[in-house]
Amino acid sequence: MSDDDEMVGYKQQPGKLPFARPGSGGSEKFSELRDESRIPESQGGTLAQPQGANRHDSLITGAAIGRRTPMVDSRWKVMGQAKYGDDIRLPGELFGRILRSPHHYARIRSIDTSAAEALPGVVAVSTGSEAPACFGVLPVTKDEHAMAQEKVRHVGDLVACVAAEDELTALEALRLIEVDYEVLDAVHDMRDGLKDAEEPIHDRGKYHIGDSNVQKRVFQEFGDISGMRDSAVATHTSDWYFAGANHGFTEPHAVAAHWEPNGRLTLYTPQQVPHYVHRALADVLDIPMHQINVYRTAVGGGFGGKSDPFPHEMCAAILARKSGRPVRITFDRDEVFYVNRGRHPSRLGMVIHADSQGRLCGMETDALLDGGAFASFGHVTTYYNGVLHTAPYEIGGFHYTGTRVWTNKPASGAMRGHGAVNSRCAVEVGIDDVCEQLSVDPIDFRLANLLPPMSRTITGFRITSIGMRECLERVRRASDWDDRFRKLPLGHGLGIGCGFFISGSALPIHWEPNKFPHATVHLKVDMDGGVTVHTGAAEIGQGSDTVVALAVAEVLGLPLDMIRIRSRESDTSPVDLGSYSSRVTFMNCNAAISAAMEIRQELLDATSMITGAPTERLVIGDRRIFSKDDPAVGVSYLEALQKAQEDRGALASSGAYRTPPMGRTHKGAAAGLAPAYSFSAYVAEVKVDVETGQTSVLKVWAAHDCGKALNPLAVEGQMIGSIHMGMGQVLSEEMRYGRSGNLLNADLLDYKIPTVHEMPEVTPIIVESNDPEGPFGAKEAGEGPLLPILPAICNAVYDAIGIRIHELPLAPALVHREIEKRCKELGIDDPLDLPSPDLEHSPLHHVLRERADEHSVRDLERKLDGERDQYHNGALFGLDATIPADEQDDSWTAVVLPDEQYLESPRLAGSAWLHVERRHQGGDA
Amino acid sequence: MVRIRVPMLPAPGELPWSASVNDTEVDIHVESNAILLDVLRDQVGTLGVKRGCDMGTCGCCSVLVDGEPRLSCLMLAHEAAGCALTTVEGLADGHHLHPIQETFTTHGGSQCGFCTPGFLVVISALLEENPEPNEAEIKAAIDGNLCRCTGYQQIVDSVRAASMIITSGKKTADATDPMPDPHPGMPTVEVESEELEVVPDE
Amino acid sequence: MRMPPFELHLPESLDSAMTIAGELADEDCDFDWIAGGTDLLPNYKWHLNSKPHVISLAKVSELSTLEPTHIGAMVRLQALATSDSCHPLLRQTSGTIASVMIRRSGTVGGNICLDTRCFWFNQGEEWRRSIDWCIKCDCGTGADCRVISHQNELCVATYQADLAASLLALDATIHLASPDGSRSLPLAEFFQEDGITRNVLKDGEMVTHLTLPDDAEDWQGDYQKLRLRESWDFPEAGIAAAWKIDGDGNLDGLRVASTALESIPRLHQELADEAREGWAGVESVNSLAVAVQKAVKPVNNTWFPPSYRKKMVRVLTRRALAPLERVEAAN
Repeated sequence: MSDDDEMVGYKQQPGKLPFARPGSGGSEKFSELRDESRIPESQGGTLAQPQGANRHDSLITGAAIGRRTPMVDSRWKVMGQAKYGDDIRLPGELFGRILRSPHHYARIRSIDTSAAEALPGVVAVSTGSEAPACFGVLPVTKDEHAMAQEKVRHVGDLVACVAAEDELTALEALRLIEVDYEVLDAVHDMRDGLKDAEEPIHDRGKYHIGDSNVQKRVFQEFGDISGMRDSAVATHTSDWYFAGANHGFTEPHAVAAHWEPNGRLTLYTPQQVPHYVHRALADVLDIPMHQINVYRTAVGGGFGGKSDPFPHEMCAAILARKSGRPVRITFDRDEVFYVNRGRHPSRLGMVIHADSQGRLCGMETDALLDGGAFASFGHVTTYYNGVLHTAPYEIGGFHYTGTRVWTNKPASGAMRGHGAVNSRCAVEVGIDDVCEQLSVDPIDFRLANLLPPMSRTITGFRITSIGMRECLERVRRASDWDDRFRKLPLGHGLGIGCGFFISGSALPIHWEPNKFPHATVHLKVDMDGGVTVHTGAAEIGQGSDTVVALAVAEVLGLPLDMIRIRSRESDTSPVDLGSYSSRVTFMNCNAAISAAMEIRQELLDATSMITGAPTERLVIGDRRIFSKDDPAVGVSYLEALQKAQEDRGALASSGAYRTPPMGRTHKGAAAGLAPAYSFSAYVAEVKVDVETGQTSVLKVWAAHDCGKALNPLAVEGQMIGSIHMGMGQVLSEEMRYGRSGNLLNADLLDYKIPTVHEMPEVTPIIVESNDPEGPFGAKEAGEGPLLPILPAICNAVYDAIGIRIHELPLAPALVHREIEKRCKELGIDDPLDLPSPDLEHSPLHHVLRERADEHSVRDLERKLDGERDQYHNGALFGLDATIPADEQDDSWTAVVLPDEQYLESPRLAGSAWLHVERRHQGGDA
Repeated sequence: MVRIRVPMLPAPGELPWSASVNDTEVDIHVESNAILLDVLRDQVGTLGVKRGCDMGTCGCCSVLVDGEPRLSCLMLAHEAAGCALTTVEGLADGHHLHPIQETFTTHGGSQCGFCTPGFLVVISALLEENPEPNEAEIKAAIDGNLCRCTGYQQIVDSVRAASMIITSGKKTADATDPMPDPHPGMPTVEVESEELEVVPDE
Repeated sequence: MRMPPFELHLPESLDSAMTIAGELADEDCDFDWIAGGTDLLPNYKWHLNSKPHVISLAKVSELSTLEPTHIGAMVRLQALATSDSCHPLLRQTSGTIASVMIRRSGTVGGNICLDTRCFWFNQGEEWRRSIDWCIKCDCGTGADCRVISHQNELCVATYQADLAASLLALDATIHLASPDGSRSLPLAEFFQEDGITRNVLKDGEMVTHLTLPDDAEDWQGDYQKLRLRESWDFPEAGIAAAWKIDGDGNLDGLRVASTALESIPRLHQELADEAREGWAGVESVNSLAVAVQKAVKPVNNTWFPPSYRKKMVRVLTRRALAPLERVEAAN
């Protein structure tokens, strides 16, 4: 072929119409104007910014955020088309069922599966010997297996699994598996877990702590420990018992596994953290990760209960590999309780000290956590029970001993408000009691002891935005607090509680946070103009797909229906830590924004090329990019897009987020670190029937600082839902273990989740403190809103009947018993004659009010002043605010190991430190 | 080993079963002891009907049997033979959502969505019978349905909003109607013929 | 959860139900009646004493009659709760049963014949295996009672039906049918003190309907129920009271019944009669409440501890009788 014949380009025939521009059709010709009311003042709009400017303000187009937005996937859900775990039906599928242990603790002498295998219709049977590799959600505590190896550790522990042509055959096959057990002495009481055992539940070899069942122990001292006890004028001491709680999601676990014809495994599972399963599967199946596609189905509720990699997920994959056919395993409700991972049953000792100035001069927490049979997230839980109550208050000293023990129960794990819920309840109730002793109003007391914005807590956490003050002030107003607190008749009470929670853990469990991002989001924009977002954030009903779509829509000025989220498959989504630790809004939206900024820049550049207007003068409106100076100069989004796509086709971009370096260097310093924290304050109004002990919650005023509500509808939904869940833990929910150690209520009739009739009227109050690093100022709203409801109700019950009860749930029988006891003490026959507590302000009241007023001014100044000095916890106690307390005062030095003096009389959990870490089981210390 | 428990096998024989499911006649064979929920999910294929607790304490499996909400997990399939069954899949009129479906999306009635199908069929029956229920009536109607996400408040809000749509006589939007695009793809201006020449990379 | 295998029979009349029952009896086949299924089916799903045959009464329309003094066994609880033509006390009581969805399926007959309940019994099969079964469903092992051990004679599972108390307080008569014929007896004589036997129903016998005395409309009453949640939960204690006020506004008749406290419901007629003679308002209310409390013996097998349930009997009785605090005895 000669050079002359070479085709150099396509020349369009004269007279023909141009190639049609791609687009989505429609009939309205003109775009709406930019909605000025949603553009911040700092960007020329009319949106007031009392909390100052945010780094994303210049990206606000007024297109999406801040409106009450229906979930982008809600239509599938309301039409019954969303596919949950058990809705994955693959051609040729087999039914998998799991044989579970009938013993709390036993050694397996032998398993005979021959009869099961011989049953017609049974295709595959597998036992632990076929999957010896261990796994666990945390790399440091891998103590789980697909099925029991040499021991079963709780009733319901997995022993074997069967895949059969139909479910009945699978069930029958389970009965034919003969297992010979040697029953071992089980540990049921968490206090027994502290003791040396004949046969500890797990052996961790060289890290084993004595011969005990202690899984993790923490000792921490910050601040002036000896000083706090000396200067205290009011001290609250309590010993709490919190029953375990289960997530109670409506969708039981279900999983389907299929080895595709190309030899790759696809695992369909309702998971909050598909990536952990991905890793664990690779370990257990002994295949590379690239050979596995984890497909997240719709998740019928997670709340932390679907964030571990689960043994039944491994079983499905093992059975599918063995049988060569897809295998689906769906749980009955009791199996959900055997997997559990719910809130730890705990015994908590709380001491709160206040000094003569009404300052919180010290907190001493001792937390013993019943971890059940496996570690799960327990390592983290053990830290969280302490460190997550070192804010929002400025404190003079903090002493924490936390221990998590293994017991022969279903494993505890992460549940909404992970590790912070129980201890927060104890702290807030303690503060209420201290205020009672000091005769001051508990809201005034809190307002006078808050950390300011841009400060450091006693443990070194970095507080950025803090809307605590506004939360307190607004619930105080809304609930008519000043006129009603301590003034209501017997049986009717008001109570306050606050909360503080991480907005995404700064420590990604599996990698170095300074090297790899916490979240990555990919965008693709093709000729149709729609934007496809690839993210691994797991939509679990909280609206993560929606919020990521909102962030992208906002930056690109597009309506939400032009954004498509692809978040289901590990094959297509960038690695992500999924939906836990309330990280999605903060981390994934930040990543999505930076990806969208790239696309935005390309669109602006293209517009500039077409119009000649300088890029920096261009703004994006509703599907139109135009000049700030002359709105008539501009092009449509599609025109700009087409220009940007010239010569290269679809636009693609990638954005990532990682937290700034933060935190201190003591052991355990990373636990509880987060790029931002949420704050909340609730007032609850309750009625207690003093004759029956039954408590009902009438109203809740709930203020939550979520930084900025990207979707107020979802934020309110999270708040109200959290109140429902937290109220359940206060009033009725418990995992009840009977005399034999068996879980008595592994069903939804006896696991008492509040019904619609128990639900109070909730007034959600969204507080927007505009976090400097949050996406458009946003922080979390998924877990923090659960924390304050527990203490708010407990404190309200005190206001109603004048009795403090340090046990949850506040079962009617328990409350009634306490009322009887009090009546006896007071010599009263009829409980209706009980005195109701009242409040006469002491002189300290004015000191607190004055300090609160001063701090209110201080906080606003710090918020708006970019040149502010550092503020470290300790300033309230006379130290220099600009220097970390331990660097200026030796008595404030952090300590992470108990000294001999402590070990002479340790508290309950602290007694775990009496054990010596030993090298090998049976070996020397 | 002593077989002390009820054997699961053999399964009882199958019998013909027919019903109208979402206005479609279904003729199949189902086991004598079959539960309606299992038949709907595993044989009819209406996977919108959810199995939450299987014991009547969550309401996720609610369906309408001859217009009345019933727990399909506690109903023998053969007792429902010959009945008109409506599942969540049968609530929408083509692409027009039932008002309660529409307001569940707009008012936050659905979060994880697993309990949603049950709530929707129960509420659709409530609104059919009583288009303007008060708060107490709404709560009484849904007290057999468990929701773990919403705390019910936004569900109650959704019912009120749906009630307003119904009493106003409006219809919900067609989900497939194109969203208005302010910038139609084709320019409608006349153009000179030479402007149409596209000669890339000369 | 999968049902254990059974064959379902769906008769369309009482006669044909009896014929089927007779045939199964002749063949020596065990069977259960099923009414609404809200009690039986969960138990079957847990493999609790399932039978190879089940006769459903769903299509037997003659059992659904609901008149002021005649209540068919197949009347749905929700129908009772919303009916204008039933006694207000029954309407109130049925409105408190379980949840609205359960009431739509559950029936009056099913509620009266409710199986007794116990923490050691109402569990899945694997669970019960892990505690080596119990007397109420021992699967042939001769297992002991797990609530009170070493007494291998009596099952102490708790009878937790609400309606029984109110029907007892209204002096209802229960009507039974079997292939051998039908019989009627006062409801108070229907129940038998054992969590397994539960009542006098013979093999193949069933409840057809209940009737109230002709003067039922002259009686007023109240039902007080102790439970944790306003929906779903079974009563942990239930007290029904019914009374008749004469033309002078004085107390002319009084009945008090309790349920959910023992393995049968109980009509406390002697206590009520004693109190009625010389009724003295508040004072009598209080002393009767104490007497009823003393008369019941709950055990530890439901959600609330038995000591608390027992204490609450006094409060519930007092509240049920509150309208009588200002009433005087009839001469």
